[in-house]
Amino acid sequence: MNKRRSLIFSVVRGAAAIAIALIVATLLIFASTNGAGLSERIADTVGSLRQLLVGPVFRNNGTISTKNLCDVLASMIPIVFTGLATCVMFSANQFNLGAEGGIMLGAFVTAMVAIYAPLPAGILPVVAVLVGAAAVAAMMLIPAVLKAKLGVSEMVNSLMLNYVVMYLIKYLMNTFLADKSKGQVQSYTFQDKALLPQLVDNGSKLSWGFVVAIAFVVLTALFMYRTRWGYAIRMIGINQDFAMYSGMKVAGIVILSQVLGGMLAGMGGGLEMLGRYSAYDWMSLPGYGWTGITVAILAGNNPAFVPLAAFFMAYLDKGCSLMSTYANVPSQLIDIIQAVIFLFFAAEQFLARYRQKLVVRSAEEELKEKEAQAAAAEGSVK
Amino acid sequence: MIFTTDFFFSMLRITAPILLATLAAVIGEKAGVSNIGLEGIMMISALFGSLSAYWMGSWAVGVLVALLVGILVSLLMGFFAFNLRTDIILTGIAVNMIGSGGTLFLVKVITNATEGKALASTTSLITKNLQIPSWNIPLLKDIPVVGNILSGHCILTYLSFLLVFLTWVLLYKTPMGLNLRSVGENPNAAASVGVSVLKMKYIAICLGGALSGLGGSFMSMYYAMGWSQDMVAGRGFIALAAQAMGAGEPLGAMLAALVFGFAQALGIKVSSRGVDSNLVSPIPYLVTILGLVVFAIVARWRVRRQHSAAALQEKSSAAK
Repeated sequence: MNKRRSLIFSVVRGAAAIAIALIVATLLIFASTNGAGLSERIADTVGSLRQLLVGPVFRNNGTISTKNLCDVLASMIPIVFTGLATCVMFSANQFNLGAEGGIMLGAFVTAMVAIYAPLPAGILPVVAVLVGAAAVAAMMLIPAVLKAKLGVSEMVNSLMLNYVVMYLIKYLMNTFLADKSKGQVQSYTFQDKALLPQLVDNGSKLSWGFVVAIAFVVLTALFMYRTRWGYAIRMIGINQDFAMYSGMKVAGIVILSQVLGGMLAGMGGGLEMLGRYSAYDWMSLPGYGWTGITVAILAGNNPAFVPLAAFFMAYLDKGCSLMSTYANVPSQLIDIIQAVIFLFFAAEQFLARYRQKLVVRSAEEELKEKEAQAAAAEGSVK
Repeated sequence: MIFTTDFFFSMLRITAPILLATLAAVIGEKAGVSNIGLEGIMMISALFGSLSAYWMGSWAVGVLVALLVGILVSLLMGFFAFNLRTDIILTGIAVNMIGSGGTLFLVKVITNATEGKALASTTSLITKNLQIPSWNIPLLKDIPVVGNILSGHCILTYLSFLLVFLTWVLLYKTPMGLNLRSVGENPNAAASVGVSVLKMKYIAICLGGALSGLGGSFMSMYYAMGWSQDMVAGRGFIALAAQAMGAGEPLGAMLAALVFGFAQALGIKVSSRGVDSNLVSPIPYLVTILGLVVFAIVARWRVRRQHSAAALQEKSSAAK
């Protein structure tokens, strides 16, 4: 199949997956409206759908709302990082699901540095984020080393670590770190010099973290496709035995991929904290890790496509929360939409017949071309 | 005194739902199906089990519905994983997404339609008489100590331990079990002698769905009164670890599940004495990691010993 055709196929396939998810969403929205008659319910459904699909960027009168758009961009930051983390780990065929606990730990450690470290402005946020990233990288050493040296499932271990991290942070917050003057459990406020400067001053909390996120997309893409470590990571994902017999140190690369993943997830947590919060108050797992997995699947584990996928998910998320304030549709609809898109995107055999047709057509065309060439060649000989 | 009869009683009670999910993982892994969606299946069936128990006014209906919902969800997983070839791990993650956030959506929408107000949990709906009943075993209950520990459990608790034996019988004493195991060990070989790999995988994932469905109903209709968000709290994941620690065998997995039950019961006991529960709650998860490590080291050591024994034997027979 030529390049153009396979591009067409992926676009059609992605669109079909999204369309199916939207159909499911429409049915669920319809089920959750409680208008009197059928017509009223349909009107409600259409109104809700409008909020979901158009609301995040456009105002009711049709003009673009910069504030909403910035909100969407701002909420991309954590899921770009968890998405990148998942890309790196899944590329190496390491089903490490610790980005969820990782982003929480990164946020927590960064927050602590931002509150307590006596560092000058300019250096403080950088150090805080780096320390957060290093903490998560160290955490990921546990499942990574156990996988590489003992063959213990990194998936189960990383899932368990998520819970351990969450409870330990809750314990530390409750016992030592909470600001007791506040009604809810939260830390003391960050030092002002730790906060990231905002990109746009409209209250949307779109910070310079966004620029850092895009920079890391580029860096991760370069790392994965332009360095030998990136090559090694992708190679053990494709065929671990082949990589081993061709002399790659598989254990080292297994560890590298997960530590890098942890670093990225931790960095996402840190930037999210310093960009959008003024005190640490996450007392349960934030869910960005799971969204990150969806993002990586949508991006086909290619870092370059992560921002696009993250924008899409952030857009839908914003749409769902707008919808829940506009109508009687609970915002958790996002989880169902996400799961449906996810399932169809990852389905290898989804639309396989259509791909088959495209392959056959390409082959036929090639054959004809060759015949024509052969005929022309014969003609010239005569 | 920590290790009272109460302690061991609650250990068995805590073990039951983990054990049900662990058996689901055991059957799945035997057939080569790594189902990490057990967590989500438990959440979904816990929700529908408690709702239908409330509607029909019967705990038995609730348990049955939970079981059927478990099978239904796993059929759906099977369709994606086996027919559309979505990676089975990703399929599991998707089910877990629906299990954590999607169930909250569903409970709000459903209760809004039936009760007139959107509830975020079903705890107000499940009353004492909708709870799965417990059973005081005649004669046994009069024996001191043993009676206090073993009698008076929920009937699903007894069923879960009985199911350990039944799972063993299924896997090792029936033709279907042989087929299931052959599909897990070498699908090509199984297919070449006429075993339908697809059918066996569907059977395995559905049995797993039924078992974790039961586990879900236990959670929402006995362990806690009613469904609430994230109530399964990683038990489906712990089950995966218990399966691995038990070397994939029903009996070993049961022992591993009991270890988790022990760890969690201990945690509850310790936190009732004033230790912060956040410090005790991670114990079962830490025990899981430790358990997996110990298991892996022991397994390696055993393999090495076998190899060296075999090598020695080879050498001595060669010398003759």
